[in-house]
Amino acid sequence: MAKSLLIISRQAPWSGPSAREALDIALAGGAFDLPLGMLFLDDGVFQLAAAQQPDAVQQKNLAANLQALPMFGVEELFACGHSLARRGLDNDALSLPVEVLDNAALTALIARFDQVVTL
Amino acid sequence: MSTLTVGDRNIALDKDGFLVELQDWSREVAEALATRESIALTADHWEILELLRQFYQEYQLSPATRPLIKYTALKLGAEKGNSPHLNRLFNGTPAKLAAKLAGLPKPTNCI
Amino acid sequence: MTTLHVIAHSPFGDERLASCLRLLGPQDALLLCGDATYALQAGTEPFAALQAANLGERLFALAEDLQARALDSQLAKVVDYPAFVELTLHHDKVNSWL
Repeated sequence: MAKSLLIISRQAPWSGPSAREALDIALAGGAFDLPLGMLFLDDGVFQLAAAQQPDAVQQKNLAANLQALPMFGVEELFACGHSLARRGLDNDALSLPVEVLDNAALTALIARFDQVVTL
Repeated sequence: MSTLTVGDRNIALDKDGFLVELQDWSREVAEALATRESIALTADHWEILELLRQFYQEYQLSPATRPLIKYTALKLGAEKGNSPHLNRLFNGTPAKLAAKLAGLPKPTNCI
Repeated sequence: MTTLHVIAHSPFGDERLASCLRLLGPQDALLLCGDATYALQAGTEPFAALQAANLGERLFALAEDLQARALDSQLAKVVDYPAFVELTLHHDKVNSWL
């Protein structure tokens, strides 16, 4: 049985390579059928904002790419409720079907996976 | 780099035979690309190529093999969305070859 | 399963430490290295946050990084590199906050 990996993505989408790198790990792992989860934390929740238009800053559409995660077999998707609330994002208007977790649930989530990496 | 001639157009290909400019794609270009791979496109091929273009439209990336199978099964049913069917149509490397013929970028996470 | 969280970024103007303390489990430990050791600067907000988290024996800081920054460690247990390696082995996994 392959080890499960939780990828914590905590950087905003257009500021640097981190958000893209976290997604690439998830897509590559998913293509190999690894048991993966992905958690959006801190500024990482901005990746989930609806109706982003990254072509305005000459970037590839990370938000569209994120939609492919379930197709790549990555169906365990989570977001930090505290991070969303602090950033004024509405849990019901996100671009991905994530499960929103409180702090205690985040602790349990991290405990459940064999390995964790935070980008 | 090489060039594909379709009618009176010269179309640039990268070293792996993928389109350099994705907007160069047309059905005629797909036919010409398929000929280079010794494939005669049938209706079975076309429905997969159209599906791939739809996938790219939706997700802005080319699928690896697993997501291609999953997406095909979702849209066309399990009798089409399985690796024997897709391997038979696209010489055993469906994600790579079908993406090429559909005018998509080379899949990055391809096994 | 226990997790050793490792942070190397300064807590000033960065959320890693605050978020880590928010989701740290009761068996989890935290190791500060590099600029993250600035969290041990007494009288500061990050220092207060660490105090409030009350990690006791579960808070560690890398000796040479403290030394280089003229920090002392009333709050954290000071470890050298061999002890750091030991710590990673004592936990089921390590979460590096890159």
